Amino acid sequence: MAKFRTAVDTGGTFTDIFVFNEETGQVHIQKVPSTPDNPSRAIENAMETAKVNMSDVNLFSHGTTVGTNALITRDLPPTGMVCSKGFRDVIEIRRSTKQDLWDHYKDVPPPYVQRRHRLEVEERIDYAGKIVAPVNEQEARQVAQTLKKRGMKAIAVCFMNAYMNGINEQRMKEILQEEIPHAYVCTSNELLPEIFEHERFSTCLTNAVLGPVVGEYLDDLTGRLKGMGYKGDVLVLHSGGGVLKAETVAKYASRVASSGIAAGAIAMNQTAQLCGFENAMGLDMGGTSCDVSLTYNGELRMNKEWEVEFGYPIMYPSIEVITIGAGGGSIAWVDQGGSLRNGPQSAQAVPGPACYQKGGEAPTNTDANLVLGRLNTVLLDGRMELNKEASEKAIKKLASRFDMTTIDAAYSILQLANANMCDALRLISVTKGYDPRDFALVAFGGAGPLHAAYVARELEIPKVIVPRYPGVHAAMGCLLVDVRHDLTRTYLVNSNEAKLDDIETVFEELEVEAREMLEKEGVPEENIKLVRNMDLRYIGQWRNLTVDVPKPIETLDHALKIFHTEHERQFSWSNPDQVVEIYGLRITAIGRVPKPAFKKNETTANTQAVAKETRRVYFERAGGFVDTPVYKRTDLPSGTTFTGPAIIEQLDTTTVVPSAVKVTVDEYLNIIMDINA
Amino acid sequence: MTQIESKLDPVTFEVLKNAFGNLVDQMSEQILRTCYSFVIYCRDFSSALCDVNGDTIMQGSQDIAVHVGTLHLTAKAIIDTFKDDIHEGDVFIFNDPYVGGTHFCDVRIVRPVFWKGEIVAFTLTNGHWADVGGTVPGSFDISAKDHFGEGLRITPTRIWSKGRYLGDVANCLVANMRGAEDRLGDLRAQAEATMVGQREFLRLVEKYGKDTVMSAARECQDYVERITRSRIAELDDGTWNAVDFIDQDPGQPESLIPIRVKMTIKGDKVFYDLEGSHGYIGCFLNSAYPATLSALVAGTKAFFPDIPLNAGFFKAFDIKVPENSVVNAPWPVAVTGFCSGVYEKVQAAVIDLWSNRMPERAMGCAFNLEYLLIGGWDRRPGFDSFFMWYDWMAGGHGGRAHKDGCNATAAVFGLGLSIQPCEGQERLSPVLTSEHAIMIDSAGPGKHRGGCGVVKGGTVLACDQSVMSYCCDRARSIPSGIWGGLPSIPQGLWKNKGKEDEAYLGAIFSGVPVQQGDTFIRPSAGGGGLGDPLARNTNKVLEDVIDEYVSVKRAKKDYGVVINVIDQEMLVYEVDLAATEKQRAHIRENRIRWMREDPEQVRDKLLAGEIDDLDVIRRHGVIMDWSTREVLPETTRQFREMMEKRTVAFWD
Repeated sequence: MAKFRTAVDTGGTFTDIFVFNEETGQVHIQKVPSTPDNPSRAIENAMETAKVNMSDVNLFSHGTTVGTNALITRDLPPTGMVCSKGFRDVIEIRRSTKQDLWDHYKDVPPPYVQRRHRLEVEERIDYAGKIVAPVNEQEARQVAQTLKKRGMKAIAVCFMNAYMNGINEQRMKEILQEEIPHAYVCTSNELLPEIFEHERFSTCLTNAVLGPVVGEYLDDLTGRLKGMGYKGDVLVLHSGGGVLKAETVAKYASRVASSGIAAGAIAMNQTAQLCGFENAMGLDMGGTSCDVSLTYNGELRMNKEWEVEFGYPIMYPSIEVITIGAGGGSIAWVDQGGSLRNGPQSAQAVPGPACYQKGGEAPTNTDANLVLGRLNTVLLDGRMELNKEASEKAIKKLASRFDMTTIDAAYSILQLANANMCDALRLISVTKGYDPRDFALVAFGGAGPLHAAYVARELEIPKVIVPRYPGVHAAMGCLLVDVRHDLTRTYLVNSNEAKLDDIETVFEELEVEAREMLEKEGVPEENIKLVRNMDLRYIGQWRNLTVDVPKPIETLDHALKIFHTEHERQFSWSNPDQVVEIYGLRITAIGRVPKPAFKKNETTANTQAVAKETRRVYFERAGGFVDTPVYKRTDLPSGTTFTGPAIIEQLDTTTVVPSAVKVTVDEYLNIIMDINA
Repeated sequence: MTQIESKLDPVTFEVLKNAFGNLVDQMSEQILRTCYSFVIYCRDFSSALCDVNGDTIMQGSQDIAVHVGTLHLTAKAIIDTFKDDIHEGDVFIFNDPYVGGTHFCDVRIVRPVFWKGEIVAFTLTNGHWADVGGTVPGSFDISAKDHFGEGLRITPTRIWSKGRYLGDVANCLVANMRGAEDRLGDLRAQAEATMVGQREFLRLVEKYGKDTVMSAARECQDYVERITRSRIAELDDGTWNAVDFIDQDPGQPESLIPIRVKMTIKGDKVFYDLEGSHGYIGCFLNSAYPATLSALVAGTKAFFPDIPLNAGFFKAFDIKVPENSVVNAPWPVAVTGFCSGVYEKVQAAVIDLWSNRMPERAMGCAFNLEYLLIGGWDRRPGFDSFFMWYDWMAGGHGGRAHKDGCNATAAVFGLGLSIQPCEGQERLSPVLTSEHAIMIDSAGPGKHRGGCGVVKGGTVLACDQSVMSYCCDRARSIPSGIWGGLPSIPQGLWKNKGKEDEAYLGAIFSGVPVQQGDTFIRPSAGGGGLGDPLARNTNKVLEDVIDEYVSVKRAKKDYGVVINVIDQEMLVYEVDLAATEKQRAHIRENRIRWMREDPEQVRDKLLAGEIDDLDVIRRHGVIMDWSTREVLPETTRQFREMMEKRTVAFWD
């Protein structure tokens, strides 16, 4: 009998499993080591360890780093590229910029395909979509044969102005498919009919190199799951915060390249909603880095472009996540100017923080937390022991440079880590016109809850939420998403010349296309939701702003008003008298997947928690080390309230509750900290 | 170990230092999202936070190199002009290159930040506007001898007074520019960005208190100065010289225009002296003092990439530039093309000097920044409007100590300056791009070759009253190699190449009429090579040949590597090791003699078809007028003199 929903988030080090029993509402979590040579194996292992019978599972959802890893390690199939005559180097010239503006020795990585495998064909479309030259059939066939002889498994077809007219690309694709029937072929027009050749070509090429990689991986995984008795769909999380069905993923392979990062942000959003917060930011701090994300009015902030490696953008909407080098293992150091710094270098798992005693001697955030008593010397239910003396020794060395005590230095290290995280949160909020005081902060990852209260206090964020399972929070995110496609059409016209009927027609065309995609995936009509977006800008401006518009658009003025208001909100100015340029029309197609209903717990008012022990922990506002109650997370039923200072320990994280901060455990067992209490 | 003196605790200092950086980056983000000039959009802009004296506390992390070292001069120009007459709510506009700007297109907006009635800081943004008036679209008039025809000179001018927008003044300024509405948009975008900076600075003051923030601002500069000086102190003392050249002074007999940089390291300071540089010349490639200062600082910064940029960095340098020279042109000498002229050369000379001080960060000469402009009336069906096709290219950087130079990368002038997509250009202008590709054999050969340059061409579609102008250089002063490496290729534009009326227009020209059907093509050079090309690993040459970065022919001539093509389609090539050994011995035996051969004899061989243009340059060091193929004797003498020092001296 089918009763489980499972989500698996495969990371570089661990594969996290989140199993939800639909009948009992119980949750089971599992962490197993990843198996990078064949990630499917870890999933198989995990399911066995978790004792989940796959025939009892009715939904399997998956976040994966297979795509990202293939790009970073360049472990890619033989891939060719066919370009318009004169333009095979667009992908290498890029926009010509470097990431580091001053370091002439820091290079942009080379394109995913070498120049020798980028071939050209005579053809040309102009800016208006008119065929200047049709595909030279003879040359095209020659190119196809050459690529066949060279054993290419994937081919990207990238022609100039194909965003206006894909006919030449399509013809080239047909010829390639005739000559090399088993190759994976994609064209820039079918993937992304958007202006700007490098960005479109880059998306198409990334898709081509990942097509076979992701396709083969999912075939393997689907086969294994089937073999274990699973009969449902395999859903794969993509960067846009939705899932695709495994059979669709191969066509849009580049969409899943940042699958894993999106999961954390989605889980953050869901947890915030569950706790009743429409606006929230996510602080996902692990061992080496910290990811921050933002949701506003219940919608995650999106980016229109992102990249795995600098210079090669993937132009699909993606959840905006800012990653900084601030993790438990981030190293504190003194630079040549005598300034105390924290990160971005990390001690990683090996040699690790000084307290691991695996050869690391540099002081890290973990060491500072240990010295201040915030971390226990015994972690993971006794499976790991930390050496406090080693931490003290490492920090003392640093402290001597500043005439500080070891304790002051440890505290300073944490203040810097917190300040760096605040900067990242500021970038995603204040810079974009959001006031942190209107937000809640969701803290997760192994180290997030250690720092969250301080970060929130600094930014005047009133509430901090620590979800029940911070260590596998991202995996839970995989379980909570809908099928999502993003369709786009470049549509350039000025607002004073625009015809509403025509805009409606294009939107309707996109909607038909979107509906077909979802129907093909078996999404029933009642679960389909289509959202309209317009990309707009003041005429003469270079960046556009994407705004939601209703269906139908009643008047153009109404749509424009939405734009003026959003421009005012983000940039503190707008100009309703100026002509607006319509730049693109977009449809977000959502196929709702039924979500698990998490079990609500009975709440007894004013439940008193019992501390398992008392420890000396440093709190600045309490005047230094004070006797601090240490609670076990599992001993905190819903309804529990108490006031800091306190420490809350659980298998996968430690939560620090500073002095005067009030803790409430809600009916879903989330910890809510009231910072201003 | 460095002694740390500070009134602030290390955490407060580090937090405020990062907050200042965050603040200027927020200003930049605002500009990027709301600007109207595509030049700004492609990242030709910068933002800064300055202290009450105008000294920079922090500059944007992604700012363009060319503005470095000029922003504090801008703030000081405003302070000097208005003195006590600066009030809360005032905003100033400025673009005067003679007292703290770069060129007219770089328009700066400065906002004094007040706290309880007194100035506590200045926030400042600088953006390259697409047009600031003058005789030609885009305001790049190569023929200008003085600034009056170049564009509007905006001396320090109040544009908001105590919070009131002075629309009359703003309109008077932009009425002299093409695309007045867009210019007001840029003005607005930049002014709002300075507002963002103000908001964030005042937030810090409220939170940490004025005194703390002000001391952090001061200590940020001291901190940078301290790091810079400690790095310099680690180097040996001494004095070294470098020279680079502008192609010519158009009105004068042919000869390269020398720009000389003498560098002295003494203790923890660096002294730059540009004495011996040529007098100012009769075209707009000159530079005024601020831009020269910027070139020196930016060139040096490439060797200290991790040091943050603020006034503290400049304090470690002492700079002397001769009066009335090409590197210190007085008012009203034209300087708009400084970016392609003096700036590139000073920067290249500085990079050369430091390459010899820090060989592990060495780099050969890079391609020259270039701007091609075509402007007129768009007569495509459905269009009846003024258009401006304003294009710049990526090119090759110089070879490096242990690796090749970067292919097709933004000019050293500004590594964040992105090129424009051809699809965007084709939509906006009646110009169809025919190719945009890496150019074979454009890289200067070396043990580590230069990066490859790019070739871009196009066809003019329906238009009228249209003209083409080109702001470039290095058609003669070709990007040179270092430590035995060879030069790359000359820059310069061909009109209607291969047609009956083909014409070589060179690397600087303006106002050349174009009409429907005309074609044009020009390369950006590759970078100069580093080290002896005969010492290059033969497999690397082979890989370059397979990827068509280098031709089979030049593999043999430049590198002495003989490659047999077995099956081009299947990429089967092989190095003929015996023939290679012989070829390398042959080159080794003759190359010094070739380099000193009579230029006229070289020309005879060229005309007889025995050698080609690249042989003329790389083998013989001869510079010609590339249209007539006449030898330029004085230019050749100067070029060879430089090659003897930079290249021949390193050959065994």
